[in-house]
Amino acid sequence: MPLTDRSTILAFKAGRAFRREGTNTVEPHAEKGAVVIAKGEDELLHFMWKNRVTEETDEDLILFPTDASFTRVSQASGRVYVLKFSSSDQRHFFWMQDGSAARDEEFAYHVDRLLQIPGYIPVWQAAAPEAPQASTSAQPAASASTATPEQLAQLRALVDQMSGATHFEPEFFLSDVLTPANFTPLFTSHPELISTIFPHLPPDLPTPPSAEVLTQIVSSPQFRGAVLGFDRALRTGLLGGLMRQLGLPEEAGTSVEAFLRAIREQAREGNAGAESMDTD
Amino acid sequence: MSGDDDSSGWQLTESDPGVFTELLKTLNVPLVVDDLYSLDSASLASLQPLRALIFLFKWLPGAGEPSSTGGQYDTDFPGFFAHQVVNNACATLAVLNALGNIPSLSSGQQLADLISFTTGMDPQTRGMAITSADWLREAHNALSPPSAISLDGLDLPKTSEDAYHFVVYLPVLGAVYELDGLKPSPIRHGSYENHGEGWIKTAREVIETRIATYPPGALEFSLLALHDDTFPALQAQLAQAEASGDHATAAGLAQHVANETAKRERWAFENSLRRHNYVGMIHALASALAKAGRLDPAIDGARTKMKERIEARKAKGGSGMDED
Repeated sequence: MPLTDRSTILAFKAGRAFRREGTNTVEPHAEKGAVVIAKGEDELLHFMWKNRVTEETDEDLILFPTDASFTRVSQASGRVYVLKFSSSDQRHFFWMQDGSAARDEEFAYHVDRLLQIPGYIPVWQAAAPEAPQASTSAQPAASASTATPEQLAQLRALVDQMSGATHFEPEFFLSDVLTPANFTPLFTSHPELISTIFPHLPPDLPTPPSAEVLTQIVSSPQFRGAVLGFDRALRTGLLGGLMRQLGLPEEAGTSVEAFLRAIREQAREGNAGAESMDTD
Repeated sequence: MSGDDDSSGWQLTESDPGVFTELLKTLNVPLVVDDLYSLDSASLASLQPLRALIFLFKWLPGAGEPSSTGGQYDTDFPGFFAHQVVNNACATLAVLNALGNIPSLSSGQQLADLISFTTGMDPQTRGMAITSADWLREAHNALSPPSAISLDGLDLPKTSEDAYHFVVYLPVLGAVYELDGLKPSPIRHGSYENHGEGWIKTAREVIETRIATYPPGALEFSLLALHDDTFPALQAQLAQAEASGDHATAAGLAQHVANETAKRERWAFENSLRRHNYVGMIHALASALAKAGRLDPAIDGARTKMKERIEARKAKGGSGMDED
């Protein structure tokens, strides 16, 4: 399996570093690898790490614009970079393995731009016709450098300052936002807004909609289950189509944060009264 | 864990008496299902005529499975028995295993046709015939959330919620049988006497023995009673007592009727909630909060709650992030 192909946007030699379970230390792994960014068949941006020896793709992250950033770890003296997620404490560490550090910043800059800006096209400084690629030949000529002891020490110092989980965790749950406690004040402060919710209640209720019925429904296991499912579905980033049906931009379907952002926007534009059906 | 992921279009439903009763209504069967909190004769007295007992349980991993539940396999069972071939259909399958053995059952044409169509089939084939009945699947799915936002194809990690398993106990031709769609044949638990509590006495012993064989705390279970719908008769009795001026009886009956009415209204409310697609409501709720300027404080509050959860979990030394 070649390391790069037509769908590759950019690639460079890099190794990975991992935080040891239960500790705050990050250790580089010696494996020779490459960061490869490609546009998948699904039209989505893939941030991959491939092992240059086994040619296996050991990491394949689908990233939507602004999900993550790629920046240098400034506390480390050398060529260490981190893929940092905007909505969680998840971190992926990489260290540059190309013999020359001359292009490190250029690669990193383009990776970060690709992660922030939809449709970004890297423009390379060098006059070379092809983007620099990890070699597809069996053995790269230059030996991959391992992280120096100084770099490791600085990496450890940096991570010592960080707290957080070793695995991906959302910053908040949608069901903690949509609680009765949060909207019962509206019964008195904005009763007209509460009425806008009534048309969306189950149509075959045995009793007519009211503030009390609304509270019962929001506390019900059925509603809470639906919110949990919706939260999970939003985190897959695949709800663009559904968002259009709600009169929201497709981008709203890429995460819980994006969804709520779009709602905030829609509320600002819509003002009181009828819901706006305009898309952005 | 792979398990049987082919749901064949059957959605997972809740195993609530209200859900079962609604299914029976759709099948035009004049029976209802109620929770049974005790097997003593007093509790069972108000549920006569009782047609079947449904024992549902969630097996908690880590505790050994009892080697036998007593009784003997009856490979010559003359009645209706179907294997469970689709996991999500387990509740409806249990209901059908009960209904198929009730003599002179009053039902809609589709169910009657389905039951007679499967006459003479082996349990596996019968199970497949049942799960292939589109109209039955639709009736079954009618009480779970609409799949407009189906999460089946999204490969989401499974929560700790698993389906319950259902076992039916009922009398067939003079003996008490246990019908378990995951076992090769029905299990015969012996004959019963035709007086006093009749089959119920035998069934009670079998069920209590079964529960006792599990290690304490290893089982989450509940019992359901499938019985005739006596509500119309009850209402008629009340009307008669009032008409004849028998106020004492009328008062007692009125209380009964009031309780039953409240219960059915609660079922209707819950079923209406079960059928509903909440995407519009979620959108409307969030919008209302935003328009009232309360969305951001709500999000901040949610963030704080999450931090507290993480701290609490760290303190306990756990891992994994399930919503409470």
